[in-house]
Amino acid sequence: MRKGRVLRATFGCNPNSSSLGVDVTFLLLGATFASAIALLLGTFLRRPTQP
Amino acid sequence: MKLRVVRARAERFGGIVEVERPRALLHVDRAMMRELGHPESPLWREDAGTDAPLSAPTEVHIVLSRRCAAGCSGCYVDATPHGTALSLDEACRILDELAAMGVFHVALGGGEALELSYLFDVAAHARSVGMTPNLTTSGLGLTAADAERCRVFGQINVSVDGVGEAYRRARGFDGFARAERALRLLRAVKQEVGVNCVVSRTSFGNLSAVARFVRDLRLNELELLRFKPVGRGANLDEELTPEQARRIYPLARWLMLRHRIRVKLDCSFAPMVFWHRPSARAAAFWGVHGCVAGDVLAAVAPEGHLMGCSFAGATTIDARVPSAVRAAWPSAFASFRDFVRTAPEPCAGCEYLRLCRGGCRAVAEAHGSFSDPDPGCPRVQEWCARNGARTSVRANRSSFSLPVVRG
Repeated sequence: MRKGRVLRATFGCNPNSSSLGVDVTFLLLGATFASAIALLLGTFLRRPTQP
Repeated sequence: MKLRVVRARAERFGGIVEVERPRALLHVDRAMMRELGHPESPLWREDAGTDAPLSAPTEVHIVLSRRCAAGCSGCYVDATPHGTALSLDEACRILDELAAMGVFHVALGGGEALELSYLFDVAAHARSVGMTPNLTTSGLGLTAADAERCRVFGQINVSVDGVGEAYRRARGFDGFARAERALRLLRAVKQEVGVNCVVSRTSFGNLSAVARFVRDLRLNELELLRFKPVGRGANLDEELTPEQARRIYPLARWLMLRHRIRVKLDCSFAPMVFWHRPSARAAAFWGVHGCVAGDVLAAVAPEGHLMGCSFAGATTIDARVPSAVRAAWPSAFASFRDFVRTAPEPCAGCEYLRLCRGGCRAVAEAHGSFSDPDPGCPRVQEWCARNGARTSVRANRSSFSLPVVRG
């Protein structure tokens, strides 16, 4: 069975009247970095909870 | 390391999961939802690639009141010392409804939310029903005791539109020292404290000083909010010049690198970002979007009306009525949701349309038509210059006489 994927990630909370549009910090790092982060997040999501 | 899922809800594409540390919302596909043990959803029988809106917003801004003693010259809710406010009971009822719909975050604001004696009861109620309450405040009346109680919030941002004298010029009164004191009190009790800075024609040149201030106080973010000509702001001539609109994204990157702080731009800046042609794949992954009103975002006015966002899209739906929001959500906000499908040029031919969504609807509406492209978008300005398109702009905004496209 195909493994699940993380499609999008937004970090932090938005306290504002308008939505969080651009986190400059992350957008600067490009598509390759985003793909790597997606894989990492997927791995950490799946990891079983430590007893 | 294990990311602990604290809440999750199904969507057509799979689902949205909230993780606690680092605090994040992750969109995942159906396979991942199944791996995480989420029960099968009827939504997964529908087309995963559909452009249908989310089953509920992920964040809702609750404008608790139009009550504020500060009297800022550009206040977008036109707040006054005795303005309308939601009661505690009404706010709690709305929170119950939003929680039942699966909303993750609520942003509490106003007006000045700290002027309401029951603000912390509202925040505690949001926590009790599983949502994260966040707060925007001027910080003007914040006491040490208030700061201690602010632990209940997730992110708290204090409005600082300039440092020192620049604060007075931007807001019309001298409140910088009190805002700084509030930030220091809040930072002493929690880490998720940042600054909101409205970027206007006047404040643009002082952003570096604000970024330095954020770094010096060890705050966790600087959020730059585009000035919008709504509320009392409609009477000001403060929208960014075309040159400033082109420079805001490179400037935000420079501020981030120069001061080593986290810098965010609000959704209305999307056209100014996409004009610089960033990676569309990266933008999609990091949730970089233009107008997400009536989809990712919704708002509730102090009079109880459901809105697309705090600036536009007021409906007749009364969010205080049990089940009203849930019943209305699937078919509400067509004017926001249809923009991508019906966009006029130059948006229709723009490779970033699905991300940008035509920029800010509130700004477009303020300039004459809700369904026009955002007149502050550099691409729109260039297209109009090439095609000779132009529209009249209200006289009191003569210095922002940018051309606007009619669809």
